[in-house]
Amino acid sequence: MKKTVDVSLPIGPLHPCFKEPARIRCETKGERVISAEMDLGYVKKGIERIMRGRPWQEVMFLAERICGICSVIHNMVCIETLEKISGVEVPERAAYLRVIVNELDRIQSHILANFSYCYTIEHETLAMYLLNLRETAMDMLELITGARVTCAYMVPGGVRFDLRDEDRITLEAALDHMDHELRRYVGMFEHGPLVAQRSKGVGIISREDVIEAHGVGPVARASGIPESDRRCEHPTYQKLGFTPLSYEEGDNYARVMIRFDEVFQSIDLIRRCLANMVPGTIRGGGAIKAGEATHAGEAPRGELTYYVKTDEYGRIVDITVRTPSIMNIESCAHYMLEGVSSAADVTSTFISADPCIACTER
Amino acid sequence: MATSLSYYLREMARGEWLRKFLFVKTAPYETPPHFRDYPRLTGKECTHCLACMMICPTPGAIEVLKTENGWNPVIYPGHCIRCGLCVEACPEGVLMSGRILESQFYDNTGYASTFHITVDRVRCMRCGNCSVACPVNKEEDPQLAATGTGANDAVIMRVKGGELQILHEEKCTGCKTCEETCPNSAIRVARVVEAIHVPEEEG
Amino acid sequence: MSFLQSIKNSVRSKSIHVSYVNVGSCNGCDIEVLAMLAPRYDIEQYGIYVHNNPREADVLLVTGAFTPQWEDKLKSIWDKIPEPKVAIAIGNCPISGCVFNRRGSYVDPPVAKHIPIAAEVPGCPPRPTEILNAVLSLAPLVFKDYEEKQS
Repeated sequence: MKKTVDVSLPIGPLHPCFKEPARIRCETKGERVISAEMDLGYVKKGIERIMRGRPWQEVMFLAERICGICSVIHNMVCIETLEKISGVEVPERAAYLRVIVNELDRIQSHILANFSYCYTIEHETLAMYLLNLRETAMDMLELITGARVTCAYMVPGGVRFDLRDEDRITLEAALDHMDHELRRYVGMFEHGPLVAQRSKGVGIISREDVIEAHGVGPVARASGIPESDRRCEHPTYQKLGFTPLSYEEGDNYARVMIRFDEVFQSIDLIRRCLANMVPGTIRGGGAIKAGEATHAGEAPRGELTYYVKTDEYGRIVDITVRTPSIMNIESCAHYMLEGVSSAADVTSTFISADPCIACTER
Repeated sequence: MATSLSYYLREMARGEWLRKFLFVKTAPYETPPHFRDYPRLTGKECTHCLACMMICPTPGAIEVLKTENGWNPVIYPGHCIRCGLCVEACPEGVLMSGRILESQFYDNTGYASTFHITVDRVRCMRCGNCSVACPVNKEEDPQLAATGTGANDAVIMRVKGGELQILHEEKCTGCKTCEETCPNSAIRVARVVEAIHVPEEEG
Repeated sequence: MSFLQSIKNSVRSKSIHVSYVNVGSCNGCDIEVLAMLAPRYDIEQYGIYVHNNPREADVLLVTGAFTPQWEDKLKSIWDKIPEPKVAIAIGNCPISGCVFNRRGSYVDPPVAKHIPIAAEVPGCPPRPTEILNAVLSLAPLVFKDYEEKQS
């Protein structure tokens, strides 16, 4: 009678597929994974502690640099929380510009997540196609805000720069280009037989398990919980007629496909913003007052919550940030990796849950 | 597939194709002009109002130094995060970066800064270091020394009547020298900045 | 300069293996390093291969302000890399700590205190073209006539 030996397999901090250091310790029986645990804590900097006592013009840049991939949404939720405390109104043109930049950031983050997944399942051609497409989105971000990453575009009361007419034409042409090319790539992903073998039915998490693990973002929406999208409660998105998407299966394939669908949805939202754009002021002014508030927004990876308390001159007294990746990583480690049948699928399942370790550890 | 294998073989045997395949490299792309690079000097005269230093979010990124042809802001690339706030905050337009300066001109946007001083009455030892160190105090009353007591009421703050009194908060320029000199972290300066947009009036 | 040395020089400047380590960054600089793999900036056409194995690397890219957990690990990674080797600090964080260099944070900049850094690319984050220029211009300089410099 053969005995299968139990091995504890560390998928260590430095790994070709991970961009950031995190360790997954898998207990395996042969090659089948029985359980997994995550070791985090390699990049903790203590950002929330530095933020205390600082005014908004310094906190904004610190909040942006919590995560470099989803930096625009951190900027937006931080500024929106401060505006909620002080009752500052944002003019309509500025609200639409904020949505445009937010959706461009969502597009580039989702394409990066899918590039990462294709790279992990060794489909390098599609991965390089997607990465090249991401450059178009970064060009548009650079045209509007002036920087590719960490744009620092939003200030309390509005945005910093306006959208010019010639930039608007370039933006519309780039959206058409992205739409056209992405349909080809999604077709390649959907109909590839080896892709399907490695993604369909791998890393399944059911709807009840997602609710119990508090999964958020595309992980939750791929298992059938569309109301987890925080954009449904934002007034500008409600005006644009936003409806969230969802899939039922909850495996790797559903998570990647829902990100592709959200990219198409974001392109559509930007087109609606450009159609509804009104001329007007881009900053409404307004100083930050004392108070405390909690505000949530939808980062590309899930629901992002800020709790902020300020003093009478607008400096931060207390701040807590709850980022989405911690729940997704925990739900991945405890539920998705349970019955995974090979060690190679551990990395692809982990990457399909789109972890952002810098967000998690701040 | 309308083309055949022999077409491809003939195509690849050409010298032009072989040369391109083996030797041509794409040059790294040029930086576009609208990229927010490190701020450069425009040549306008700097009045050393220090508004750029007050709004900079990074420690040690910008300093206004005096050279033989006058004052000029100096940016340290290893610290500067290229946010562009100093470009927007300068009232004279001494710095430029990408398209920020011209957008500010066309959109009439800017920042309104005010500075407020708060003193923690429990921690203040009435030592007077802050009043002596304050550069605005030095201009108003050069005789103010030795624990910050004096008779001049035009200074921002001084030790009067047994405690530190703030007399003219509106003269504060926000340099935070008092905050750094205080041995007990009792005095704090708040740099309150408001982002404003003044649209052009019609007619 | 012998014939063997000139072969070694030309091979070392045309085939550079890169490994990167993130000692506490926000990922902005890491994403710009990844963006260099894209066909637009195409780092592989110069013979530079970005993998993540210190044992096979020539150049180590360091990003991030130094967090306390990496104190022993960064030194051991640096020791694993075989000679000749060079380390490049990408971004503002390994140089000065960027915005995190305030009282009360856990970071310990600069990284040059812990391992010898040969070049720095400032920016938060630097553009891919700037990183590419740094790697391309530095590696041939360091590896040129390496054996003759050793003796």
